[in-house]
Amino acid sequence: MIIKEIRLPRVLAGALIGSGLALAGTVFQGVFRNPMADPYVLGVSSGAALGAALAIVMRLGYSAVGVYSVSILSFLIATLTVFAVYGLAKVGSRAPVITLLLSGVAVSIFLSSLVSLLQVFSGWELHRLIYWMMGGFSYIEWADVLGVFPLITIGTLVTYLFSRDLNIMTLGDEEAQHLGVNVERSRKILLAVGSLMTAAAVSVSGLIGFVGLVIPHLTRMLVGPDHRVLIPSSFLTGGIFLVFCDTLARSISGSTELPVGIITALSGGPFFIYLLRKSRGRYAI
Amino acid sequence: MPSRGESYLVGITIDNVSFSYDSGEALRDVSFEVMQGEFVGIIGPNGAGKSTLLGVISRILRPGSGAVYLEEMDIQEMSHKSLAREMGFVAQDSNIPFRFTVLDLVLMGRNPHLSRFGVETSEDLRIAKESMTKTRVANLAERAVTEISGGERQRVLIARALAQTPRVLLLDEPTLHLDVSSQLEVMDLLKSLSWKEKLTIISVFHDFNMAARYCDRILLMSKGRVEAVGPPGTILTRENIRTVFGVDVHVGHSFLTNSVYAIPIAGQKTKTSRKEWTVHLICGGGSGAIPMRRLVNEGWEVTAGVLNILDTDYEVAESLGISIAPEAPFSPITEKAHEQNLQLIKGSNAVLVTDFLIGRGNIMNLQAAIFALKSGLPLILVIGDPNSDRDFTNGEGTMIVRQLIDMGANVTKSLDEALGVLEGLRRDPLGGRDLT
Repeated sequence: MIIKEIRLPRVLAGALIGSGLALAGTVFQGVFRNPMADPYVLGVSSGAALGAALAIVMRLGYSAVGVYSVSILSFLIATLTVFAVYGLAKVGSRAPVITLLLSGVAVSIFLSSLVSLLQVFSGWELHRLIYWMMGGFSYIEWADVLGVFPLITIGTLVTYLFSRDLNIMTLGDEEAQHLGVNVERSRKILLAVGSLMTAAAVSVSGLIGFVGLVIPHLTRMLVGPDHRVLIPSSFLTGGIFLVFCDTLARSISGSTELPVGIITALSGGPFFIYLLRKSRGRYAI
Repeated sequence: MPSRGESYLVGITIDNVSFSYDSGEALRDVSFEVMQGEFVGIIGPNGAGKSTLLGVISRILRPGSGAVYLEEMDIQEMSHKSLAREMGFVAQDSNIPFRFTVLDLVLMGRNPHLSRFGVETSEDLRIAKESMTKTRVANLAERAVTEISGGERQRVLIARALAQTPRVLLLDEPTLHLDVSSQLEVMDLLKSLSWKEKLTIISVFHDFNMAARYCDRILLMSKGRVEAVGPPGTILTRENIRTVFGVDVHVGHSFLTNSVYAIPIAGQKTKTSRKEWTVHLICGGGSGAIPMRRLVNEGWEVTAGVLNILDTDYEVAESLGISIAPEAPFSPITEKAHEQNLQLIKGSNAVLVTDFLIGRGNIMNLQAAIFALKSGLPLILVIGDPNSDRDFTNGEGTMIVRQLIDMGANVTKSLDEALGVLEGLRRDPLGGRDLT
């Protein structure tokens, strides 16, 4: 009973969300030709969070559209965010790493403060909102798993179909066009799909940082940069990583349960700094 | 647009293309045709619009007006993939952030032939490997592109473009960052591709000699327009290069490579114009080459004579556009040429005599110097080494030189000293003779 109603949905959701975030990170890094990009850093997660928070506060979660209304609003704002950040970061026809990180941080802070504002005015929904915000899988139900599953599946399939485009797009817009890739269209589709997976993840488990950054990197080190291999590999490692982190979060301190976001951030933060140091200047295109 | 009857020969038609960036116009009314299998080089100074034109031909840039046709198809109407199946592009510098292997990168060239759901077949692999063999990078297949040399990377990128099995290849300064041997290797490869595989090649070049040596035709661009287009010999002329690049060059024909070449003439031109003063130079056998160039660079009007055709001095005078009294190759100076020389002397303000070797054939030139002194013109002798034996006339030449000195010629030890005397004379023609 415990296994079927509590443990199993929790593990499945963890796996799906870990995979979704890792794939979103892979997509953003490829599209922006930038190993530093991930849904969290780019502010996409914050956008998704704002959408989800809005849906919760407006009690859309209880409406006929059900679980999906949270995801849909989350997806819409996440998508708007990624295009806004990209638009802000763009210098000429490319988005250099510095402006991309800066505009990501700026937009992210702005959106987070809107979420905080919502908390202040949330009244009755405050309780639910705060639990969700902390990021974790404590309250996962089967409904959540079933809600997330199709979104992550669609995202994964579309991403995989664009894996050759992603390979070519890492060479730059012009090169990609010379090789027959419709760059503008592919980029829009991929950014939307990345936002979809981020939104699906965030609307269920709140903000879980750094999975999208660390996993694509580790996987790339293991299997190389070819997205046809990298995408399925990231999918697997992302899922495994988050389930592992969640198990740690549940068991590490005995009776109290840590939010899984703390575990991922604890491992991801130093890794991000390591990357930044190692690649000093190299990605400042 | 080409008419149907002849179109099977035309590879690319650029029809009245204009293009503007936000910062201003970059191309204006550019039109030309490139035949199938032709190798065309685009040259011109920075900002002439070379790369912009290549951008328009490859559809990276959309022209403000006009159109580009691939055979009979307007490229704007082609899909991304169908264009990439016909046209390959090798960029100036490819920045590849992830560590793909060489084979991975070349296989990307097969992308336009694959559907979204398709995967590379053994046929694609065969074509990729064949392209790599053509550009001699097959041995690098498993190496990371980030770890190979610049020349190797350039050949890998050409292999990738070839894997697209295009009919047209566009290149933006393919030899820019390469050492000389890699440059020649890449150019030989391109030449053989256009020759053997009937690949139409359009390439931008920084180095006009490289373009002249390898291309069938050259398109010379200036300020966004086509200045001239034609075979290298008709484009690489002194006039064209002076107009477009603002540089004086010596143009020659190398029998070794069977191509024309242009060498910029060293030395900055002075801003002072001394054109009102004409200096006549009596020289020969190469002794006048450096003085002529210096005099022209420092703004003097220069004439020279008598010079034998095929003499080094004659060729230098030709390339500098100096009026001369010429004589047939290897012939002694005739009365006619001598007379012409005297006319040039009469038209000058001063005469400079180099320490050329004196023989029976050119002793008349020393007589011309005597004539100059007798006409009251200042005469300057440059005698680098007074002890060197340059007289092959049993003393007659030496005697005349001595006579010149007795008659009041200025004797100088170097060209610099002679130019100083000349400048003194120009500023103060009356007191000039006392300056030495």
